Amino acid sequence: MSQLHLSDEILMAFADGELEEPTAAAIAKAMAEDPVVARRIMEFQQSRRLTRSALSDALSPDVPAHLRSAVSAQIRAYEAAAGSTSGPRVKASWSERLRSNQALGQWALAASVAAIALALGYFAGWWNRPEAHGLLAQLDSPILHRELDRTGSGQDVDLPFGRLRVISTYRVADGSLCREFRLHAPAEAAEAVACRDGEWKATFALATPVGQDAYVPSGGGDPTAAYLQTIGAGEPLAEEAEAKALAETSP
Amino acid sequence: MPAAIGQELVALLPRLRRFALVLCRSQPLADDLVQGACERALANAGSWTPGTKFDAWMFRILRNHWIDHLRRMKAEGMTEDVSLQTQLIGDPGEGPVLNRLVLSQVQRAIDSLPQEQREVLVLVCADDLSYREAAEVLGVPIGTVMSRLARARRRLMEMTDAA
Repeated sequence: MSQLHLSDEILMAFADGELEEPTAAAIAKAMAEDPVVARRIMEFQQSRRLTRSALSDALSPDVPAHLRSAVSAQIRAYEAAAGSTSGPRVKASWSERLRSNQALGQWALAASVAAIALALGYFAGWWNRPEAHGLLAQLDSPILHRELDRTGSGQDVDLPFGRLRVISTYRVADGSLCREFRLHAPAEAAEAVACRDGEWKATFALATPVGQDAYVPSGGGDPTAAYLQTIGAGEPLAEEAEAKALAETSP
Repeated sequence: MPAAIGQELVALLPRLRRFALVLCRSQPLADDLVQGACERALANAGSWTPGTKFDAWMFRILRNHWIDHLRRMKAEGMTEDVSLQTQLIGDPGEGPVLNRLVLSQVQRAIDSLPQEQREVLVLVCADDLSYREAAEVLGVPIGTVMSRLARARRRLMEMTDAA
């Protein structure tokens, strides 16, 4: 492989979902091989999140009345003709969770960065908390896998390390069966997606200390939904279809 | 027939004010800018292509309006009063709740960035514009957007404890 110079700009562009293939793939590889590279990428994501929080645009109540009415008056003056607004489109459930104005590509990438970071055990070190290993460490637990095989979506199950709630089940683009679920323990909560390939493997997870938001990728909304989009999850399977899919013996 | 942009315009007001404040650092002036930019946008609604990003189009109008304003002031021999230091207000109700200390650190760090870094940071990280869109708003090459943005974000991480 030709040597790629891992400049700040390139890693930032990767973190922001702005890179074209094959460069993006090369960076992803570098990130998977080198925790230092992964950390630099995560920092670009973190800086985006911090900026977003500090400049949060929930400022609507603060628009002064005089400005609002001045602009409204201008609008009325210019728009004698009736405006056309398109009705809402029907969306899959996870896409409803993505804010409509997001640059979806960036989202999806942020989610995949999070997934790779998970594979690296990155989040465990990210907050520097000894118990951060807690729920993420349980993703490989046979007890959890047994429940993923049989628990219907929408149900809660108490496990030794916390409460499991299965959210939904998807047949993703590559044909495999994936389930989105949450784990709640006293000190932290995690959302995760696991896919069954012979056995259940967590492909995405975010753990959050209870009582604070820990990690939100660029866009700031729903990383799990973004991840589900990345892997081509369609509509969640309805009850019967879900039961049937779960009952399939894996090859 | 030009698209009806009124609704979008009203919805965008808070973000337009934020960007205007980044440009001119004075709230009253920022509000005048926003109003003038809205007027300009409505007069030129026909030049917006529905389906393209309305916010990016609007940010460009706002920024051009600001540049025109600066030129006018220069021509009239007026000087700008930028003594009004504005505070960037973060709203803990949206997005992750950072502890107040970190949040104010980040706000101070953003405030301390050079103008050219602040505007690109806001457009990309707060308003979710792509690099290309930001480059079009600012009228600079994409490479310039990337180097300013990377520098701004590095400094931000260096200046805050959240890293």
